[in-house]
Parts: sequence; C-alpha cells; structure tokens
Amino acid sequence: MIFPKGKVRIHYRRDFMDKKIGRREFFKQGAKIGFSAAIGYGVTSPFVKGKGLPLGEENVDIAVAKGSDYYASTIKAVECFGGMKKFVPKGSRVAILPNSQSRHPGSFTKPEVIQAVVEMCKKAGAKEVNCLTWLTPENWEASGLDVAVKEGGANLKFVEAEETNFKTVPVQGWKAHKEVMIMKEFYNNDVFIDMPITKDHAGNKFTGTLKNLMGLNYRPNNRLFHRDDWKTNPESIEFLDQCIVDLNKVVKPTLCVVDATEFITTNGPFGPGTLTKPQKIVVGVDRVAIDAYCTTLWGLTGGDIYAIKLGFEQGLGEIDLKKVGIKEIKA
Amino acid sequence: MNKRVVWLYPLVLVFLSLPFLFMHVTALPQKMLTDALPEDGEVKDWVKHRAMQHYEGDDLYEYINGGAEIYHEYGFVQVAVQDYISDAGKSVSVEIFQMASPSSAYGIYTFKTDSKGKRIRLGTEAQLADYYMNFWKGPMLVTLTGFDETEETCQGLLDIANKISANMKRGGDRPSLAYLLPEEDLVDQSLKYFTGILGLRNSHPFFYLDIAGFEQGIKGDYTGGFGLFIFRFGDDSECQKGFDRMEGQKDRKGRRFFFATHQEYLLLVLGEIDHQQAQNIFDSTRKKIRS
Repeated sequence: MIFPKGKVRIHYRRDFMDKKIGRREFFKQGAKIGFSAAIGYGVTSPFVKGKGLPLGEENVDIAVAKGSDYYASTIKAVECFGGMKKFVPKGSRVAILPNSQSRHPGSFTKPEVIQAVVEMCKKAGAKEVNCLTWLTPENWEASGLDVAVKEGGANLKFVEAEETNFKTVPVQGWKAHKEVMIMKEFYNNDVFIDMPITKDHAGNKFTGTLKNLMGLNYRPNNRLFHRDDWKTNPESIEFLDQCIVDLNKVVKPTLCVVDATEFITTNGPFGPGTLTKPQKIVVGVDRVAIDAYCTTLWGLTGGDIYAIKLGFEQGLGEIDLKKVGIKEIKA
Repeated sequence: MNKRVVWLYPLVLVFLSLPFLFMHVTALPQKMLTDALPEDGEVKDWVKHRAMQHYEGDDLYEYINGGAEIYHEYGFVQVAVQDYISDAGKSVSVEIFQMASPSSAYGIYTFKTDSKGKRIRLGTEAQLADYYMNFWKGPMLVTLTGFDETEETCQGLLDIANKISANMKRGGDRPSLAYLLPEEDLVDQSLKYFTGILGLRNSHPFFYLDIAGFEQGIKGDYTGGFGLFIFRFGDDSECQKGFDRMEGQKDRKGRRFFFATHQEYLLLVLGEIDHQQAQNIFDSTRKKIRS
C-alpha cells in the first residue's frame, strides 16, 4: 500500500476537550462548526450553509420506526422527522452513503432502506440521487445493493481509488488528524444523507453514523487512522476514534437514516456474526445522539464507545439520551 | 554446430524456465488453500459458483475493508474465498484463512465464536451458529456462511465443511495457555485467546488500557458469574511491571476484580466473586502452571 507521504501528516494531542454542553448550546455550536468548516475549506457547502441544523419536528431529535417491513419503516421514520421535503430542496442533487462493506447478513444497509430513501428524495423533487463509493463494483454486486440503488432510480458512482479523485481538506479544530481527503464527487451534490447500518466493529466496537463517513475518505488516508503501533499501544485505538471525530468535523450530513433492523453484534464489521433484530429505522441529524441511541439496541451505552464520547466532548452532538427527544412509532 | 554456442543451451533453457518456476513457487502457498476446497461432484448437490478470490498479507484490506486488523493481530497469512451453489439455488460462501500457526488459527477461532454456538465434531474444534459456522484445523480457520437459516443451507454448510476438513491433512494443538484455566465450572466454549489489545478489547471491551505489554492472554468464563484472565509476559520483571500498573485501577463498569502474579503470569478475576473465591481460583491456576 502506498501512502501519500507529504500530503497527509498526523498529529496527536491528548488535550481532548472536557466541556459538556446542553442540547440548545450543542445546536448553536454545531452550526458554528459547520460554518467554520465550510469557510475552512473554501466551499460554500449547502450541507452546512449558515442554516444551522434542521431540527425535525418539535421535540423530535430522533425518530424511530419499528416494523418488519423495512421499506415502510424507513418512510414512516423520515415522515416522523418532518418528511424528506424538509431536507431535500427541489432540483437538488443528493449524495447518499449506504454501507456495502460485506455481503454477510447484518453487515450492509438493507436494499429496502436504500430504495425507500432514494424514492423519497425523488418524490421531494431531487434532480438526481448519487450513491457514492470507492469500493469496487464486485463489492456492490456481491451484496446485491447495486440492483437496489439502480432500481430505486439512483446513480451508483464508483470513484476510482486514486489520489487525484480526492480533495485534501483541512480539519478545523483537529485533535488527531489535520487533513482528510474527501472524494471530489461528493462536492457536486447539494444534500448528503448518511445511511449506515449500525453494527459491531472489531476496531472500536461500534459502527454508526460517525464511522460511516470513512466511506467518503480516501482509503490510504483512512489507513492513517491506524497508527503503526496499534497492535501494542492501547492509545492507538483512542487515536482511531479521534480521527473519526475529526473527519466528522469536516463533513456534516443533512440527514442520517440508520438501518438498525438486523445487524451483527459480533465479528463486525465484516461478519458473519451473531444477528440481533430490533427491526428499527433511526432517523435524525444529531450523529452523537443517534449513535448513542443505537448502542442501546445491543446492551451498550454511548459512553462505552470512545468515538461517541469524543464526539460529544467536541461538540458534535448530545450523548445524554435523557436530553434528546426520541419519538418511537410502529410502522 | 559451433561448440562455443552449444554449452549456452542449458543456460538459456534455465533462463527461459525461470518465470514458470517462479509462478509455480508463488502458487504453492495458494495451492494449500485451493486443495482443501471441494471440487464439483465432491459434495452432493453443491457446485462451485463464481471464481475463487485470493488475498494475502496487506491485500486483506481489499477484502475486509475496515476489519482486517484483527486478523493481522492474530497472524494472518492468506485467505481463499469460494462460493458454492446448490441445485435449489441456495448459496454458501467459504473462507479459508491460513494463519501463522495453529495457535493463531485457534485465536481467531475463539474471536469469531462464542458460548452460544452449537459445538460440533469437525476439524480440531468447530461451532455452528444460526446461518454460519467456523472450524479450525492446523494453521487454518475456515468460515462458512449461508445466506439464510433453512435446513438445506445448514446441511450444505456441514457437508461442505466436512469435505474441507477431510482435505486438510495438517493438525495442531491449542496454545499451552489454554490449558491453564481450571476446568471446574468453566463455561463450555467461553475461551478467548488473544495476542494483542484488539482481541483483548473485544473479549472485554471495558478493561484494556491497563494490561499493555502482554504476549499472550486467555480468558474463560465461569458459571459463578466471573471471568478469569491469564496473561503471559516476556519474563517475571515485565509481569511485575504489569502488576504494578494494575494497582489503583478501576474497572470501567465498576465491577470488582482481583489480580495476582505467578512467575511471568498475571492472573486476574473480574465479576461476581469474593476475596476467598478469588484466592482459591488463583491457587488452582498456580498449581496448573507449576504442573
């Protein structure tokens, strides 16, 4: 593997912020971070453009729909959060980022969930919906998601894993990773929907909205999230988590739609592993709150996962679910 | 014929055959895996589907994007991936991982299995879960995945796995550390063997920062509601350093734990256990180490 030496530098500091913030303050800070990130890399990104974060319906920070029909649950959950029109303006280009990491059951975003999101975007008036990936076509074919994306009416855009296809973006307020490399194609879109499946991960125990963004980052740059001494130095796992948080300071999803229907709780992220079936679709914009909620679906808490804890401490969202408005409905 | 030229012929032949020789030598390790894969007709109703994939060393990141680290921690060498399809259209994926040693294969096997799976007689150890199974034999770990939980798919998993196991000639034993856990009240299939912090952290996610520096570790769960960890360090002094680091530490979940040393071993019990019980289990373990 060739690393882009000279392009990417890693710095590591242990002076993590230790300030806890309330919900109201979080949204203010979130908007500020988004704005500063936007001016930081010189793109007037519509994902963060001075609007702050969409808040969904009154008192609904996270909408959860439960049911065995995952297509219907996805639609219900998004409607409960205010409907897709609230997030997808007419004529906009929408980037979606499902997880297609493996074909093992419970390791990839379900096709029904993807189809529902793509169709809702189209119905809301999206000019185009682009599913972005640097994985190979074989990868998408194996999981069967290539068909789901195309049948839903979206474009499956394969970004060749070459450095020239990625844009180096400085991280404002970085703690571990000074620059990330986001696929250029991403910036041709107006709206971004983060669509992970929540599941186990052997590296940092949990995958959700925060970690899924590594799917936009240049793979060799992702590899730098793992320090050389990760086999012997426990701090290197914290480093990985901090890198994930740093990446999330650059990219802020317009909406997150999480597949928590059937997922692996062991042997992640690739599987096969023990399947749990909460049959839930989780929708919101606060990545920390959503991930914290998803940990509870398999007996953990947000505080157990270092990336979630760091995300909270650095102003990405709210970890205390008592302070989060969660609306659960049956689909 | 020019005599000066004739003597060059063997050299030219050797030179020309070098690429073929090289191809053969590089294909040999891969052959170890492909030889184990059942050919069409060897397993009733199941045939190969799609081309085999092969990854070695750092190429594993291409196959297991974002999850290859744990395999490397245990000592990954290469993997062959082959799909099979049945007459009824069911499919099974076979992954044969060659690890650095039988201990490595055992380690990744314990990582990928848990006490809830059904133990079956296959390879050195095997376990069947709802839709997949794992077994290890010699330096190989084999993972078979069905894509549903039907009887036909599960039977296919077993039939293919049996054939693969029969095709593998090399055996191997568990690492000696695995035999140091006292057997009394030990939960079947609860053992986790680790050689680094990723394995340890996945075995016990809330207690990992304090035990850096160990070379190998094993953990077993006991019916009384506690777990016993045994860590082996490079030597007694390294172990003592590990012991010193433990003093004053707290479990992140607030659970009680006790620890002790014996030669290069650090022993630790965590969970529902009192001081006397901990002392007893440490004594049993020390006896096992001495023997």
